[in-house]
Amino acid sequence: MSRTNTSTTNRLSRRRTYRRLMFGCIAVAVALGLALRFFDRPLLGEAVYWIGILAFFGIWFGTSGSLFDERDRALERRASQVTMLVAAAVLVVGASTARLVTALDLYEVPPMISGALYGYVALFAVFGVAYAWLRSRS
Amino acid sequence: MNNDLRERRDRAGLSQADLAAAVDVTRQTINAIERERYDPSLELAFKLAAFFECRIEDLFHPAFDGETD
Repeated sequence: MSRTNTSTTNRLSRRRTYRRLMFGCIAVAVALGLALRFFDRPLLGEAVYWIGILAFFGIWFGTSGSLFDERDRALERRASQVTMLVAAAVLVVGASTARLVTALDLYEVPPMISGALYGYVALFAVFGVAYAWLRSRS
Repeated sequence: MNNDLRERRDRAGLSQADLAAAVDVTRQTINAIERERYDPSLELAFKLAAFFECRIEDLFHPAFDGETD
């Protein structure tokens, strides 16, 4: 039977550290960005935000080993499915309600709501394109 | 999918972290497999079988309809 060795244990420990660092960068950058915006420093806030984003991707792509294992990817897939299901429900019910209240002159749907609904439509359009592309490659 | 990963790991005197390190996944993944909440990929199943020097079907037992999962 095979035995674990120090290098594999270190690799897993490094993976955990890098993951914490990645998400820590994003969390700190978002918090600092919001704080700087609050203190009327929007440009500096945006710069800090982008430093966090770049650090996140820098760590992700800069490390030699994989930072996520197959269960992480399976969980991501399932979470994406749930998200799309919720988005679909919101779009179907929301768009129909918006059309109805407008047609019946009950309520004028604010541009922000219509914009959000078009955003959902765009999301599903991207999903359709991605699905078709992946199907053509498999 | 039923499996006897925990029994084999216990017999080998390994912790979940040890086994995770050996097959290059997280400890949580080993825990989820042992609790039968996650079915491993074919690649990971092969790795686990190779680690315990047995066949995949000795380690994993699919629960078909009518059987308990």
